[in-house]
Amino acid sequence: MIALTHLTKTYGQVMAVNDVSFSVGKGEVFGLLGPNGAGKTTTIKMLTLLSRPTGGGATIDGCDIETRRKDIKKRISVVPQENNLDRELTAYENLMIYGMLHSISDRVRKIQQCLELVALWDRRDSVISSFSGGMQRRLLIARALLTEPLVLFLDEPSIGLDPLIRRQIWDIIRKTRIDGRTVVITTHYIEEAEALCDRVGILAKGSLIAIDSPSNLKSMVGEFIVEFINGDGKLIQHICRDREEAHAVAKGTEQAVTIRKTNLEDVFVKLTGERIE
Amino acid sequence: MKSLQGFEGMGRYLDWYPVFLREMLHFRRKLLKLGYLFSAMVVPVIYLVTFGLGMGRNVQMQGTDYLSFLLPGLVAMSSMNNSYTWVASSLNLNRLYFKTFQVLVQSPISSSSIMIGEVLAGVVKGLFASFLIMAVGFVLARNFSITPLFVTVLLLNCMLFASFGVITGMITTSHEDTSTYNNFFILPMAFFSGTFFPVDRMPEGLRAIVYLFPLTHTNIVIRKSSLDIEALISLAVLLFYLIVFFAYGSRLIRKYSE
Repeated sequence: MIALTHLTKTYGQVMAVNDVSFSVGKGEVFGLLGPNGAGKTTTIKMLTLLSRPTGGGATIDGCDIETRRKDIKKRISVVPQENNLDRELTAYENLMIYGMLHSISDRVRKIQQCLELVALWDRRDSVISSFSGGMQRRLLIARALLTEPLVLFLDEPSIGLDPLIRRQIWDIIRKTRIDGRTVVITTHYIEEAEALCDRVGILAKGSLIAIDSPSNLKSMVGEFIVEFINGDGKLIQHICRDREEAHAVAKGTEQAVTIRKTNLEDVFVKLTGERIE
Repeated sequence: MKSLQGFEGMGRYLDWYPVFLREMLHFRRKLLKLGYLFSAMVVPVIYLVTFGLGMGRNVQMQGTDYLSFLLPGLVAMSSMNNSYTWVASSLNLNRLYFKTFQVLVQSPISSSSIMIGEVLAGVVKGLFASFLIMAVGFVLARNFSITPLFVTVLLLNCMLFASFGVITGMITTSHEDTSTYNNFFILPMAFFSGTFFPVDRMPEGLRAIVYLFPLTHTNIVIRKSSLDIEALISLAVLLFYLIVFFAYGSRLIRKYSE
């Protein structure tokens, strides 16, 4: 469904996205994981036609992002990182304008469906400026789903939201998969990538450093981690292949230890030597 | 929801219509605030009182009383200011801060449709401010009248400056930048383009520059009662500016990249 070939973006001397190539299959939920400034949003902006690549290219459903822009616009929807709803308009007006821009037929019914999906139908006539951050994010998702896109891009969909609202957002994203839609998510929340994505691409300093399913990436570095604080107050981590090895390491350690399963952040630390947040 | 009843079907064949409708929904909410209504009127009314009623009581200009001379100029100036400022300011804010412009760029409508929607919204805002001045004009000025030529050039002026507003809104890199363009282009035009006194009273060296200003040509035509050669030339100049600004604005939207 999506294929990136040596996609590159530079701003002057700054390399924002460096020769990134990967593909995303139809119906897949794909995550781009990395710290702030890794190039996730720039990659999404190029795929969603807000930014033009300085090298390489990409296709979505066989349409080139340079030459078939209108065809791509008909196939995708975007939930941007920053709220770009019209704050002075109502929820219904926002969706109606969006539906008209995308020539959506049977708009009234579809708007109701989308607003009900995100539990905002009762607030359809309220202006956006009266909405909480979580409600605005839900409405952004409803707006994106209105066009019934083949590919849904979500750029940091739960950034800045409290854990309860974040889980509500995840539930909505899971529902969007039901009709075989391809979903691309950027996030720097480890648990978000693990909870939602079939495969994850890890970006660091503009380059793609790993790509696989979360479980494969974790087993690549080891299943368990033994952690303890040493005499200098420094956190020491031992990555272990399996539970037995972890227990063996723990037994040989004098300090109080924690044994836990590895997560994608451990993968990131192992690959780059840096933490995600 | 009620606010959109009756409008939903209109966009089916008109790609620019949702862009226009969006601006109109914002505009309607602004109109409901009395502050906006007064702010749209305050500058031209100050000029009207100062130059028209104050200084101009005993002045004759081009064979008529000064107030009747001044009013068409104020209508032209007001339409320029409002068409330009609204479009430039809202596009700049929507692009840089609210990011709502990105929604338009990511939708499958053409750049010229976005341009048409924005320009027509600018025209409505320019006409609205002009109507306020015209209403005052009908009450205060003896020889103030509206001809088909007056309406034509007013529309052309609004379209032209709304298109210029799109250009400014697209190329400025901060909201503060829009006032720079205002100071360099709009303000000199307001004062030197024949709004307050005829251009032929300008020093000869400056006159050539003044004739490059589109507002000068609007002021020439808006004071004519019928079409003559001078009015035709000025209309052609205005049309030229409109085409150039519209084409350049559409190109800026088409080439938009972050």
